[in-house]
Amino acid sequence: MVRIFLAEDNAADVWLIEEALRRKSIRFEIDNYTTAAEAIEAVTRCGLENAPVPDLILLDYNLPSGHGADILAAAAQNPYVARVPKAIVTSFLQPGETNHVIELGAACVITKPAGLEEFMREVGGRIEALLRGAVCGGSEAERPEGSEQGRKRL
Amino acid sequence: MASPGRVKLLLVDDDQDNLLALEAVLEPLHQELMLAQSGADALRLCLDHKFAVILLDVRMPDMDGFETAELIRSRKQSRHTPILFLTAYRSDEQLFRGYDLGAVDFLFKPIVPEVLQSKVSVFVELSRNEQLLQRQAEDLTRAEQRFRAVLEAAPDAMVITNREGVIELANSSTDALFGYSRENLIGRNIRLLIPDWEPLPTANPSARTGEMRLVGVRGDGSSFPARITRSPFQASGSWLVTTAIRDATDQVQAEARIHRINAELERRVAERTAALSYSNDALRQFAWAASHDLQEPIRTVLSYSQWLAAAGPETPGESRERMLHIIQDHAGRLYQLLGALRQYVQVSESGAAESAKANWTPVDCNAVLRQVTANLQGLIEETGSKVEWDELPAVQGLEVLFVQLFQNLIANGIKYHSSAPPVIRVHAEMSDGNWIFSVEDNGVGIDPKYFDYIFGVFRRLNRAGGTGMGLAICRAVVERMSGRIWLHSSACGKGSIFRFSVPARPQ
Repeated sequence: MVRIFLAEDNAADVWLIEEALRRKSIRFEIDNYTTAAEAIEAVTRCGLENAPVPDLILLDYNLPSGHGADILAAAAQNPYVARVPKAIVTSFLQPGETNHVIELGAACVITKPAGLEEFMREVGGRIEALLRGAVCGGSEAERPEGSEQGRKRL
Repeated sequence: MASPGRVKLLLVDDDQDNLLALEAVLEPLHQELMLAQSGADALRLCLDHKFAVILLDVRMPDMDGFETAELIRSRKQSRHTPILFLTAYRSDEQLFRGYDLGAVDFLFKPIVPEVLQSKVSVFVELSRNEQLLQRQAEDLTRAEQRFRAVLEAAPDAMVITNREGVIELANSSTDALFGYSRENLIGRNIRLLIPDWEPLPTANPSARTGEMRLVGVRGDGSSFPARITRSPFQASGSWLVTTAIRDATDQVQAEARIHRINAELERRVAERTAALSYSNDALRQFAWAASHDLQEPIRTVLSYSQWLAAAGPETPGESRERMLHIIQDHAGRLYQLLGALRQYVQVSESGAAESAKANWTPVDCNAVLRQVTANLQGLIEETGSKVEWDELPAVQGLEVLFVQLFQNLIANGIKYHSSAPPVIRVHAEMSDGNWIFSVEDNGVGIDPKYFDYIFGVFRRLNRAGGTGMGLAICRAVVERMSGRIWLHSSACGKGSIFRFSVPARPQ
């Protein structure tokens, strides 16, 4: 059983991510936050007062009341989540934003593809790799589209 | 130097043989010899020729040498011609009379050729030197005339001074430029005209300074900007300076005008560049935000319609229904977003703003509020809201924009209500030529850290329904009416106060 911290305001995307995990036969529990403010508060509390520490932190970039980057910045202040792999899951990022989130501690940026199979392959594969402890950061900074590595690991 | 041209010698003797003898003696001097056999002939020749020397026999019939000499002397053009008398008698009386008449020497017969040649040679040489001197004097006069003509023709005031600045010469342009008469300037210091004129340095007087800008002072005390060039030169061992002075008033004014025009141009370019780069930047941000927020519903519709299409019999009907619902929901959301986007673009499009200004009319904000509450009738009744306003002013603008603005602000206040029934209050006050409108609610309030954030495009604070465009549209409306919009926390700590300003008299 893996525990996933998920900041995502689109319920349809939450369901797609769940489906992707199911297809990878990953047993999971998701804590879903739908605004940046909620997610920041939650990530700050992880590990404190019996609040669980997740195995993976997935953050949408554009959220009500803020950005995924704001949550990464808050997470960087909490030593309990320092070793937890974190990834931005988004439609796309503007130039410069990829470098910014990598600097803030994201292991990689996962781009949500259009199309069901593509979504399952890309998002499922990347999450699986992250949970195995593979570092999918690296060259991501130079390749904002960066889905090649994730696919290869399949 | 002048060429040593031949000079003329006049030989006067009544005796033909004597004349021939004199001619023979003087031939080797290679000068032009003219012969006269009487005083009258000699006088005639003196009318037409200038002689270096006249050899005059004293004893002649009719008119003797002395009489002839007297008449020669009496004529202006021959007054200074040297006369050598030839005589056979050494008499003191004769000598005195001869010298009285201007004789320069006497030669006694019999003539010794060498003595005659040598004496005449002296006069030939003398005459040549005189010619040379005269030619040089003429050259000098011509040069002086040329120099003065140039000086007078110069459009600039030209003043020649010694190295300390004492004026020796000034041209007529100087009179015209400074309003002095030249005679009054000679001998005075040029600093009268150019107070900052500096004497030539002793170390390196010939050093030419470039053009200088100094102040010129006229006779009437008025001053003007002057362009000055100085050319030092040496004359007879002492240093003189020609100072050329030109009135630079026109030039300075033209330069100032060019400078003003340039500065104005630069300012406009900078302004325009800033405006363009601001609008470019805003447009870029807008395009990113729009493409991001529009892509999400499309992607969802695409994925879920594929999922639904691929769903086999094992998929429960409940799930299929949920997928269909998500598809419809996101398609509807896309439609809603596009509508908000269109509204935003219409409001903020700057070209339209410029042309629309001409269509501005006084807008009665009381009427606007009546319109808005009518539009929001359903929402107001559903939530049990109260919308109140004081007497509001009329302001210049477009009514449709004010309706949009107030409707967005009031609907926000109602939607984000707290547990208490929503109360929205609108009022306006005058401040520094602007009307400041306040829309105050008793809703959930907004954390001050989002006060700027919420005016951006597609910015939401929670996931309830909205497009994230409402306040972006409000800002675009206010900015189009040359105002600004901002946000306060309500004084009681509950609810928010949106304020916006619009010029009471738009420019």
